[in-house]
Amino acid sequence: MNTLPTASIKSLMFSCIASIILAVIILLIAVLPAEYNIDPTGLGEKLGLTVLAQTDEDATIEPTVITCPDSEKEITNQGEVNGWQDSVMITVPAKKGLEYKFHVNKGEKLEFVWKTDGSALYFDFHGEPQGNTTGYFKSFKESNQSESSGTLAAPFTGSHGWYWKNKTNKAVIINLKTRGQYKIKGLM
Amino acid sequence: MNPIHKKTYFLIGLILLLFNPSCYAHGVDSNTAQFLTSTEGTAIVPFLYIGAKHMVTGYDHLLFLVGVIFFLFRLRDILIYVSLFTLGHSITLLYGVFSQININAYLIDAVIAFSIVYKGFDNLGGFKLLLGKEPNTKIAVLIFGLFHGFGLATKLQDFDLPEESLITNMIAFNVGVELGQFIALLFIVTLLGFWRRHKSYFSFAKTSNTLLMTGGFVLLGYQLTGYFTAI
Repeated sequence: MNTLPTASIKSLMFSCIASIILAVIILLIAVLPAEYNIDPTGLGEKLGLTVLAQTDEDATIEPTVITCPDSEKEITNQGEVNGWQDSVMITVPAKKGLEYKFHVNKGEKLEFVWKTDGSALYFDFHGEPQGNTTGYFKSFKESNQSESSGTLAAPFTGSHGWYWKNKTNKAVIINLKTRGQYKIKGLM
Repeated sequence: MNPIHKKTYFLIGLILLLFNPSCYAHGVDSNTAQFLTSTEGTAIVPFLYIGAKHMVTGYDHLLFLVGVIFFLFRLRDILIYVSLFTLGHSITLLYGVFSQININAYLIDAVIAFSIVYKGFDNLGGFKLLLGKEPNTKIAVLIFGLFHGFGLATKLQDFDLPEESLITNMIAFNVGVELGQFIALLFIVTLLGFWRRHKSYFSFAKTSNTLLMTGGFVLLGYQLTGYFTAI
């Protein structure tokens, strides 16, 4: 095995010290500000690097569901505005996935429309037969979109709904509106 | 006990220290796990791809490989050393995932970063100068291969694999890693091969390996900071 033939202690020391100093400079000015928002020199902020680390704060957001107020529901129930039965705001945290389900009996309908506040989400719209423990599910639609709508005629009695996966660094809010014959099971 | 053995035991001790199941849970959320459970059977190609991509884009593994083959001039030697590296990382990749050991990804990546510093220092003739002789380079590449494998295992465990298709998916990932490594090596060996025809390769050898060490130190600082800020 070869190494450098003319290594002297002086040149070795120089290489080691030079590499450490260079590494520390790169870490302090670029890597730590950009990755961890640690900015001891203040240069990271001036260069705009700390912005990169700040999106990570989104990671602390928990999945939430906010059911829209009853007043709005009353209007919608009467079919005066748009005729939706239920409307929820679901927050999918950055880099996380969640499921939101409805219980629908065989042959009954679930009409839906959902839209995110911008980013596209990976989703799998699927159903699991009631009482099935094998983990079997039937996928109705799988895609990467920021909105989707349609009507599901349940092929079997069971739990039907969406798996959404947020692959971005920011939390995404979905507004899901539904109507039909179902029971809300909610966040799984 | 000669110094090389001491070093080996030290490294084995380090491996054991990193097995700390309580301090680390780096998996995906349960819903994703549930979802992945249901995608068994068709996951061979995805895992193959994930493995290859991880290696091709894994600058830490690649920097280490550059260090290893920097002074290897014969294809036979390159094959021997890369095989030892492959053997090392395959053992711990399979073992780590199969026994579901939770290793702190920051610490294992810090050891991987250290392996780059080690190899750069070795290439600079540092060990020859300080210890009077170079520690067995084949053993070193094998041992560091073991650490790189644990690093790969933590990445694969991010996918919280379902039990039934564990072996298939794991082997697919491992084969993907080797494919990715082969592709990356083709480029590295070709580029180094061209550069070696010029005198600058040797006059820049010191600079190259100093920069290699720099890269290792940057990654080391990056991973250790991650470890200490994550607690």
